[in-house]
Parts: sequence; structure tokens; C-alpha cells
Amino acid sequence: MTKINKPEDTQPLTWSRFTFPGSIYKYGTLLFVLVFLTYSLNFMNVSIPKMLGALGGLVGVISERYYPPDLAYVTDPGYLASVVDTLQMSFLGGIAGVFLSIPLAWFSAANVSPNRQILFPIGRMGVISCRAIHETIWTILFVSVLGFGMLAGVSALTMFCIGFAGKLFSDEIEAIEMGPVEAMRSAGANPFQVFIFAVVPQVRVAFTGIAIYTWDVAFRAATVVGFFGGGGMGWYLKRNVQQLENLRVGAIVLSIIAMVLIAEFISGWLRSAVNKAK
Amino acid sequence: MSITQPHSDAFTGQIDMRRNRHLKMALGWGMFILFATWCVNGTIIADTDWSRIGGRNGVLASVGRYISLDLGLLSELIIPTIETFMMACVGTVLGCFFSLPVAWLGAANVTPSKHILYPLGRFLMVVSRSVHEIVWALIFVSAVGLGALPGILAIAMRSVGFISKITAEAIENIDAKPVEAVRAVGGNNFQVMYYGILPQIYPVVLATVIFEWDINIRRSAVMGLVGAGGLGLLFFRQMNSFNYGGVTMVILAILMLIVLGEVISHYLRKAVI
Amino acid sequence: MTSVLSVKDLRVRYAAKGPEILKGINFDVLSDDFMAMIGPSGAGKSTLIRCINRLVEPTSGSINLLGKDVIALKTRALRELRRDVGMIFQEFNLINRMSVMDNVLSGRLGYTGNLRSLFRHFPKKDIDQALYFLDRVGLSDHINKRADELSGGQRQRVGIARALMQQPKLLLLDEPTSALDPKISREVMALIRGIAQELGVPAVCNIHDVQLAKEFCNRIIGLQDGIKKFDGETSTLRDSDLEDIYAMEVL
Repeated sequence: MTKINKPEDTQPLTWSRFTFPGSIYKYGTLLFVLVFLTYSLNFMNVSIPKMLGALGGLVGVISERYYPPDLAYVTDPGYLASVVDTLQMSFLGGIAGVFLSIPLAWFSAANVSPNRQILFPIGRMGVISCRAIHETIWTILFVSVLGFGMLAGVSALTMFCIGFAGKLFSDEIEAIEMGPVEAMRSAGANPFQVFIFAVVPQVRVAFTGIAIYTWDVAFRAATVVGFFGGGGMGWYLKRNVQQLENLRVGAIVLSIIAMVLIAEFISGWLRSAVNKAK
Repeated sequence: MSITQPHSDAFTGQIDMRRNRHLKMALGWGMFILFATWCVNGTIIADTDWSRIGGRNGVLASVGRYISLDLGLLSELIIPTIETFMMACVGTVLGCFFSLPVAWLGAANVTPSKHILYPLGRFLMVVSRSVHEIVWALIFVSAVGLGALPGILAIAMRSVGFISKITAEAIENIDAKPVEAVRAVGGNNFQVMYYGILPQIYPVVLATVIFEWDINIRRSAVMGLVGAGGLGLLFFRQMNSFNYGGVTMVILAILMLIVLGEVISHYLRKAVI
Repeated sequence: MTSVLSVKDLRVRYAAKGPEILKGINFDVLSDDFMAMIGPSGAGKSTLIRCINRLVEPTSGSINLLGKDVIALKTRALRELRRDVGMIFQEFNLINRMSVMDNVLSGRLGYTGNLRSLFRHFPKKDIDQALYFLDRVGLSDHINKRADELSGGQRQRVGIARALMQQPKLLLLDEPTSALDPKISREVMALIRGIAQELGVPAVCNIHDVQLAKEFCNRIIGLQDGIKKFDGETSTLRDSDLEDIYAMEVL
């Protein structure tokens, strides 16, 4: 059934990896990226040897300046109080952010948005703006309006969480099954009722997981808002950086890593507990 | 069942179970509210100097200061904006280079040593994600000085965590059959990786890199707050000289970059998957 | 007619305290054999065939392939030996995202250096040979398609072409037709048999379809539960032997 073709019988077969224009696009893009990167390095006055040298020297710098870390400083009662503050801030920012983001996520979900002309753009813009502005910028802006302290910090974290959770929530809502939604709509329910009875039951579990994840990420941000006046452990970081107390800075960074690890562990455990319970 | 006992025991048991569950939920919510109140007290109520804020009118006036545009700043915005964009690009690419070995170490099926290097790989991933990009920037500024370089390095270090985590998970989920085939043909370790593993993980990894690049634009905008290049420095200076119109300009520039990043990343990710 | 493969007292145990999968297997493969290995699932056929090119590590015994002691080989020598053994897999084991051509060329990886592998730049000789084999298996029209765009039978043909690219001195076939429907199975087996005969390459073939084994192979080995229960010419295989091999274990 398969004819045996000797190579001499058929016309000389050739094959080349390059297709036209597919290969042109592929290699053209690659070339463009490389040229752009080289141009960027030049534009920013960064030399590759220096860059690689910095990374190589990183271990040296760390061991020279930040070692041994002043661990006793971490037990300072003022610092410990600020750690508790950071936890509280992250929690409040998380809760507020998550709650405020739910309506925004509902508005910005293309499949169940109650009003495509007004509320959908508002929802989208709201979430995108909150996401686009970095939490440190939010902190600085809130500090200039509300003064130094944790109110500004919590507000900044709230904005951050709205952006973070809002996007994840709206992605989740857009992935639901439309069957229950259609059923509710055909029964004459208004958009809010559709949301409560058809959307929420489907996304409830995922939302809880997202909320816990948001708190975890908010905590990481909360450790640093104090650097810009938002209260919490970040302020100790700033003070010690300014006073060139590098060993204490090392200790603070280590304590941040430790706490983030604990927070991640707790959040992972909570999320698996939530998934098992439902 | 009789007149005196209208419900079966099983049914009563179910009512008790539901009551228990409702009780637990109520308890849970109660604790939650208590905890929240404690937090609110500790942070906002105790810490805020309400007189300084100036009440509602004071706040509105403060916000109103931002609703102005200092158009004279436009020419000064161009270079830092470009620099911010470039920092995100170079930083992401550099982060990729470091993510590959870390992912290699942290993937249970290919790691050379399950007891030492695998935990090390996982640990490096976590550290990279736990240390805030501002802290990374501080470390690098003290190591190499001011400018764009520490910003690039900070972004690279921060990105390694997520990219290598996704890459390691992708490696752990590969189909072992092409790997077996390359081994059977007489391939060495490099060929096994390049022909057996890489083609399988390539789309996911590329999509993740594009995603992280998008986030990095946001991050590189603030590197300058601690001296590491980009728009952050301009933001800082405008804020310090109380030029609120200028601050708004910088924020608009950042927003423009973010939108650009979102559009590009949306189309690139579609093209890759 | 020389002995290409000689297996003596091969034992395999996956974990130190685990069960023994192969319990002392002995057989020889001669240079004009197209040998079938039959037996119920779990008999150890897959393990045995993978011991031959050491994709599975034998626990004890000896395997002498093309004059070399397989078990004693160091990494580099093992790779060189694997180049001479072409393997065709039950589930084709192709690189799905790559083209048919690249998959076939990957058969030459044992002879290609790292730099060439990186740029996927194979010598013209290899490319011509790939084109020839692709034509031989009837896939000339599909050269630039992605491997996962092909049907099962077509994919197995790619696998065959890849194995042939190695110019192997022995073919190992691990249930090459189990994932294909009966008509295609027959075509593929005929194709492999024809090429093996034409190129004078002996083959060891795991098969679970005894009919196919009897039709295409000149020798049959029957395994049950890690023990060889039958070894002889196809013509000498009787129904009682089959019952013996495929006897169900009565609990």
C-alpha cells in the first residue's frame, strides 16, 4: 500500500525551516526586541558588565553591610507594636477593599453587569484605576490629604485591595455558568436579584479564596506603607535606612520575610480549609 | 411516629445539625466583627489626629488641590516616562534569566537534589515574592548607587518569584513521554530539556512573562521614590514642592503607561496561547 | 545469523522492598528475528523492553546488546548505544508542538551537538534522509504540520520515521498499535515489518493482540507475571501454550 519511492525517482525534495512571511514575523519580532533592549540599556546608561557585577556582588554587599542582623532590635516593644499595627491595617484594608470591590466587580462583569452604558464603564474604570496606581503612591496621596498615620495607610491598602480583588472577582464572575442567570432573568428578576440568587452561589467559594489571597498580598504591601507615612513597620524601616543603621535594616527585612512566610502559610491553610468545607 | 412525637428522630437530628451550623456561622461572624472592631480601634481611631485633617471641608479642599494640571511639566515628563517603560522591559527580561534556574531547582521532577536544592529553589521563590519591590530597590541603591540600574535589578529580583513558581509548576505537569523519547534516541540532558520539556511549557511561561511585564510597569513607576530611576523621582519632587498640578501630571503619565501596557499585553497574550 | 541481544537472568525490582517485576528472564534475539512478546497486562513486558535500552534500571542479571554489556555502561557510552536502538512507543511520544519534520529530525539528536540542537540546525544529509523516510511512511504531504494535528496512525508513522533516522541496529516496539484501531493497526504493523525486513533490522515487539503477533512475527516469547512461559517459533505456538500464558490467577 505504501509505494517505495527511491530518492532518484521523485524530483529532488527540498525542505527549509523558513516560511514566508511567517518566519519574517517571528524573527523580525525577536530582532526588534533585542534591538529595543540594547537601546534601552544605552538610553539608561546601564552597562551589562556593571549589571552582572552588581548581581554577583550582591551577596558580598549583603554580607558586608547587613550581616549580622541586629535581631535584638526586632524585639523592641515599639517595633512589635508596629507589627501588630501592620497586621491590623492589612486586615482592615483587606476587608474594606474586598467588600467595596464586590459591587465594582459585578458592574464590570460583561455577562451580568446591570447597566452596560453607565455602570459597566464605571466598574471597569474603578477597578483599573485602583490597580494602576501603586500602593505606595496611594499612600503618599492619602497622607497628603489625611495626614500621616494609619488612616492614610488603611485607605491606601483599601484602594489597592479594590484593584486586586476587583479584577479577580470580575474574572470569576465572567466564568460562571449562565444557566441559572437565564433562569432568573426569564422569571422576571431584576439584575440585583439575579446577582444574589444566580451569581453569588456559584462564586461564593472562589470569592472566599480570593479574599484570603488578597489579605495575604495586602499584608506584603502593608509592611511598606509605613515607609511613606502610612503607619506600621515600614516607618521603622525608613528611619533606620535614613540613619544608616544597616544591621537593623537587615533585621527588619528578615522579620518582614518571616512574617510574610507565616502569612502565606496561614492563607494557604485557610484556603484549603475553605475548599474542603464547601 | 406518633401524635406526641410528630417527627422522626432522623428529622430532628437534621434540625439539630442545621441549628449547630447556624450557631457556628453566627459565632464565626461575631468573632469576625469583634476582630474588625479591634482593628479599627487600633488603627484609625487611636492613631488619627482628627483635628489636623480639618474635617470634611478640609479633606475636600485637599483633594481639590489635585484637580489641576501643570502643563508646563510636559517636556520634563518625556524622559522619565520612557525610562520607566524601559526599566520594566529590561527588568522583566533579566528576571526571566534568573527564573529559569530557580524554576529548575524548584520543580520536583527535574531538580538535581530533592533534599537540598529543591527546598532552596522554593525558598528563593518565596523570598523574591515576600520582599517588597521598594525594599529590593533600597538594597540595590545601597549596593550600586542611584539611577536606573538599581531599579532594573529590583524589578528583576521581584519578578523571579512569580515567573519561576509558574514555570516550576508547568515543569511538574509535563507529559513524560516526549522526555522518554529523547532519552531513547540517545539525547543528553540539554537535548532532553530543550526538546522534551521546553516545547511543553513554552506557552504558559511566555504568557506569564507578559503578565508580569504588565505588572512591572506599575512597579517601575515607583522605583524613583527611593532613587532608583523612572517617574518616581519626578513624583517625589513635585510632591515635595507642593506642586499638586504637577503631581497629577505624573499620575496621568503613569496611567497612560499602564493603559499602553494593558493593551500590548492583551494582544501579545492572545498571540501566544 | 548472529545474536544481537542476549538477556540472562534479568531481574527487576522498582523499590528495594517492592515486588519483583521480572523474575529471571533469559532469551536471545538473532539478527533476522522479528520477535513478539505477548502476555497479560502486568506481566512485565513494558519493563522488559525498557531494560534493553536501560530506560528502566535492571536490578540484576545481564543484558548483552550488540556486543556491549548494557548494565555496566557509563552515561556517555549508554547514550551512544541508545543511538543504535530505535524505539517506537505505544502513545507515539512525539513532541506535540513541533512539526512532523522536527520530530523526525529529533531521531538524530544522539549525533547532534548542543549548539546545533539549540538552533535546530541539522546537516543536509539528515534532512534528505528525513524526507526519504517521510515519503517511505507516506507522510510527504504533512511535513510541516504540527504533530498534534495528525491522526493516531499518522503519528505512529512519524514515530517510525524518527526511529529509522537513527539507522538502528535493533528496533524496540512497545505496543505500537495498542492505541490505534484494528485496520490502521494492521497497516502500521505491515509497514514496520516491511521496512525492518528491507533494512535487515531485527526487532523486539510488545504486542497484546496475539493475532497480529502470529501474523507478523517469526518468534514469540510469552511472559506471565515476570516469568517467561514460552519461547519459540511462531508456528510452534499452540492454544494450550496461550492458555498457559494468559491463565487468570485464581484468588
